[in-house]
This record gives sequence, structure tokens and C-alpha cells, in this order.
Amino acid sequence: MSAAVETLDRLRAGIAPIGPAWLVRQREEAWSAFVEAGLPTRRLEAWKSTNLAPLAALDFARITTASSIAPGIGSGAKTATAIPGVRIDRLAGVLQREPERLAGRLGRLADPKRGALVALSTALLEDGVVIELAPGARCEAPIRIRFAVPPAADGSASASFPRLLVLAGEDSAATLFVEFDSPADAAGFTDHVAELVLAPRARVALVQLQAESAPRVHFSSLHAEIDRSARLDSHVFTLADGLVRSELDLRLIAPGAEATLDGFFLVRGAGHADHFTTVEHAAPHCTSSQEYRGVMGDRGKGVFRGRVVVRPDAQKTNASQSNPNLLLSEQAAIDTRPQLEIYADDVRASHGSTIGQLDADALFFLRARGIGAAEARVLLTRAFARTIVDGVGDPELRAEVGHRIDRALAALEPTLAADRADGDDDHDASEGPPAGDRA
Amino acid sequence: MANDPLIQIRNLHANAGDTPILRGLDLEIRAGEVHAIMGPNGSGKSTLSNVLVGRPGYTVTEGEVLFRGKNLLELDAETRAREGIFLAFQYPVEIPGVANNYFLRTAVNAIRTHRGLDRLDALDFLTLLKEKMKLVEMPDEMMSRAINEGFSGGEKKRNEILQMLLLEPAFCILDETDSGLDIDALRIVSNGVNSMRSPERSMLVITHYQRLLDYVVPDRVHVLSRGRIVRSGGKELALELEEKGYGWIEDEAGRKS
Repeated sequence: MSAAVETLDRLRAGIAPIGPAWLVRQREEAWSAFVEAGLPTRRLEAWKSTNLAPLAALDFARITTASSIAPGIGSGAKTATAIPGVRIDRLAGVLQREPERLAGRLGRLADPKRGALVALSTALLEDGVVIELAPGARCEAPIRIRFAVPPAADGSASASFPRLLVLAGEDSAATLFVEFDSPADAAGFTDHVAELVLAPRARVALVQLQAESAPRVHFSSLHAEIDRSARLDSHVFTLADGLVRSELDLRLIAPGAEATLDGFFLVRGAGHADHFTTVEHAAPHCTSSQEYRGVMGDRGKGVFRGRVVVRPDAQKTNASQSNPNLLLSEQAAIDTRPQLEIYADDVRASHGSTIGQLDADALFFLRARGIGAAEARVLLTRAFARTIVDGVGDPELRAEVGHRIDRALAALEPTLAADRADGDDDHDASEGPPAGDRA
Repeated sequence: MANDPLIQIRNLHANAGDTPILRGLDLEIRAGEVHAIMGPNGSGKSTLSNVLVGRPGYTVTEGEVLFRGKNLLELDAETRAREGIFLAFQYPVEIPGVANNYFLRTAVNAIRTHRGLDRLDALDFLTLLKEKMKLVEMPDEMMSRAINEGFSGGEKKRNEILQMLLLEPAFCILDETDSGLDIDALRIVSNGVNSMRSPERSMLVITHYQRLLDYVVPDRVHVLSRGRIVRSGGKELALELEEKGYGWIEDEAGRKS
């Protein structure tokens, strides 16, 4: 046992066993899987480009678990108002009162063997959110889930293992916004696992915003199963100055299943953001498209690994993948590796990645109109992100994500006065109203 | 003030990349005057405009440029723009993802801030924008589109003039603004330019053809050849050039040097 594993074991001992026998067993198995695998190292193919040393170096002996979880519907994250067929519950409450609802569902997709940190998250699972959409249920306003780490009063590190389980019944539809936030002094580790099950013809739009600050280490792993003619629209926004790993693991299991996986990552400071997607086409006539756009500034490093696996009987698969990147500084770097594994013969698949810099002519044009170099860079970088932001269907979320990106972009340009960071409110004048500050 | 020199270019030598293009150019433009520069391809017209606005890739090797008596060449591009230098580009760049109206307001406010004026809020700016758009007959929908994206050649040029109207520069350089314009677009663009003429404002109109100068009538016409001004005259010089071409002037200049 490594020191980190030993101290995590101590942490585990402090967590009261919750839930029914099947969960206790599941968590023990997950713990064994974690102990067997240990913290991932760069010797593993999947972790070749990301060094978890900052995680291994955390003093877990002093760690406490902490996260504040606020689920709600609509802006302001009000508590859930009654929408027919839509249930939003805290996971801990469900495990206490009606654990049978989760038997065979919680932990089914997030196989501990898929990765040590997935196993660890299950082993130390405490709380999270369960969303259940009854067949035909529709939730127009976005369901908001905020996983926030409170500031550490004594400067000690904390670990949090927030969980999300989404069960979308046949013909149901909903938009989810999952946000991770932590103040700059909240050192520690967030290990998030989400499981999404989309029954036939379900439609789920998921927007994830990862905005935890360094030195906190963020890991999230989403596992989704998409059934016949169901559709998942996933948008991942990562605004990182610390170490972030975001995994998406999707399976299209019946004909007509569709998935869009889009993402935008902005890495600044000494940040490191690693996005690893896997899309498995396990049935014929399924479609997946993904576009992740990366912007690396300062000494930031980005990693994109996109695996598309087309199983032998997944004929008529349509899969596309692209990863355009912008490097804003000499020290910034990107490691991009799209990867197609095709075992069927009648397939349309494309992939590509590009690495570039801001367009010098465009930059000069803006400066020649009196716009300062820093602001011009922000304008052009925002334009680069815009394709992805515009893909967010819900206008309120689209505006909100746009503002968060603006703030992160301003942080990349220290010469911009702070009041300019979020002062302008109409760059998206052609779109919906600007987002107000959330409660 | 009228009749003071607004811009003074003295013995300007400049390279585009590593190639010497301007070889001792002298030019003085007083406030309120419109000057035209004509000349064959490669004579240095575009290099002159790029040097004046501080485009990277162009280096001044000798000489000086004074703007209102101050050394222009030590300022960066954005400061020159804020001080009142404006170039209407020959080939305006397309910038996908940046809405025209947002760009314009950002530029107007950058310049207003520099001049010690309050920033315009979205509503005040819209009022100003609508007024200026009428002058260049631009439809509203072009404002919410990305900068120049999918614009025709004429629309791009009108967009350049719109920027000039909004930014109210003291010194306007029009770099072949007439190229690629049909007669209607030429009229619209010229009207916009003429509406800007004032005793405090000067213009430098760079063109191949006399045609534009029928609409924007210059006070002085200069002929640029091999990086120097080889002949200057009144507006009738443009007509003479149209008739005889540049050959005779270049020959004359060649004999003199």
C-alpha cells in the first residue's frame, strides 16, 4: 500500500457505512479494486500524459470529506418545485429511506474495473444527487446541481466524492447543469462519478462546468448508456488553473441512439486539463459527434484523448470527432490524440485535430480600431469558444457559461482592469438575456 | 486647428519584411485637407498606409512621422487609433465569432475612454450606430453578424466606412477603398467619406483610379513611384494620369534621379 492509499483507508474508516447490504458490498469491492490498482501513474496508457503526483502528494491523513450539494430547478437554484414525473433527491436521503430504488442501478455503469479513481469514488461515496424522469416526463427549465467545496477554515485539505445518478425513462426530456466550484484556498481532491441511463427515446442535455481552482485536484468520470433513438447532448466546460481530468464514457446500445459530446477547455496558470472520451458504438445505425476545443495560455497544458470504438455489428455507424486547439503562449502545450477503433466495415467516421495561434491579421485589425492587444486577444479567444457555447440549447445556460468563460479569459490577461472582466453584458446580444448572478 | 500641419512625413524609408519599399518619402497634410496618392502597383502605396498605422512586419529604417507634432512611430497600433489615425483597409479581414455590433461598441468605447469621455452603454451606442448606418445604407441584420463574415466586397468596404464614421478619427487613410465597388457602392462609400470632411479632419486617399476622386475631390494629388513622391499637383493631375498613365512621370522621375 502506498502512503496515499493508506491514508485514504484511514479516511474511509471515518465514513459511516450507509445504505443497504448490497451497497456496503459494492463499496467494499470497489475499495479492493482501488487498492489493487493503486493511484494511476503515467505507466498506464490512459494516464500517459497526466501526472497525478499532486494528488499522491496530498496529506490525506488530515483530510475531511466535504461538499455542499444544491440541486434545484431553474435559475437561482430554488428547491425543486413539483413537476410531474420529475424526481430530484439527495442521494444520502434515498439511501436512507428507499434504497431499493437504487438497487441494480447505482454503480451499474461505473464499473470499478474501469479505473482506480472511479472505484475510489464508489468506495468512499457519501452523497450526491439522484434524478429520475418517469416515462414521458419533461422538465423545461434546466435542473441545476452545484457541487461546491466550502473554503477550509484551517487551511486543511478536503476530499469530496459527489455522485450523480440520472435515470431518464422512455420519451422523457431534461436539461441538466452540473457545476463544480471551489475557492482558491480549498485544497484537496474532488472525485466525481456520474451515471446516466437513457431509456428509448429519452433526451438529455447535460452541461458540466468545471471551475474548481488550483490547488484542488479534480477528477470526474461520466458513464452513460444510450438506448434506442435516445439522445445525449453533453457539453463539458473546463476552466482550469489546476489539475483536471474529465472522462466521458458513452455506450450507444441500440439502433438510432445518438450522442453529441462537445467541450471547451481553457487552461491557464500552471493548469493541466485532460479530457478523455470514449464512445462505444455497440449497435448499428447510431450517431456520435464530438468537438472539443482547447485554449491553453500561460504555462497551461491540455490533453485530449478521444476514443471511438465501433463494434463488429455496429454497421451504418456515423462517428465524427474533432479537436481544434489554440496555444496563446510559448510555454503552453497540447497533447491531442484522436483514436478510432473500427471493427465494422460499413461505417462513416472522421477525426481530426488542429493546433494554431490567434490570427495575426484579425488581431491587428482589432488593434487598428483602438482595441487594446489584451482585449483583442480575449475577443478572438472568445470567438473560438463560441461555436461550442452556441451549441448549448438552453439560452439561460448558454449566457451563463459565456460569462464564466469571459471571466476566465479576463484572468488570462492580467493587464485588463478587473472591472472590465465582467462589465460588458451584450456580446451575446443576438441571443438570450444575460445571466444574473446566482444565489 | 485648420491649416496647421496634421501629419508630417519626412524622408521616410521603410521595409515590408526585409524588402525596402519606401525610399525617402516626404508628405505634409494640413488639417482639413484631402490628399490623394496615386501610383502603379509596387510603388509603395500600401506600405505607406501600413507603416502609418503600425502594422507588424513593416519597419521604418529612416525618417520620421509627426502627428500633431508628436512622434507617431513610437506609438503602438491601438494608441495610434485612439489618437485619431484610421485606416480603411483594402482587404478587411473576416472575424468569425465576433459580432459586428459588439466589436464596434468595444472600439468606440476604447477610443472614448482614451479621450476622457464616458463609455456608451448598449442603448446609447445603438442610437449612434443606427444614425451612422443610415449614412452608409447598411441593413440592421449586418450588425448581429460576425465581422465581415459572408459580406460582399462592397459590404466590407461600407463596414470600413461605418467604423470610420463611428470612431471619428482626425486622420483617415483610405487604402484603395474604391477597388471592387460598383457604381452604387462607390456613391454610398463616397457619401460616407464626404460627410466626414471637416476643417479639423484630414484624409489620405490611396487609389489606382481617378474614378473615386470624382466623388471625393482632393485638394492635392501626389504620384508615388519607387517609394517616393515624384510629382504633386491639384486635382487636375489625377485626370492627366488617367489619360496618360504613369509611364511618363516615372520616366521623368527616372531621368531626374
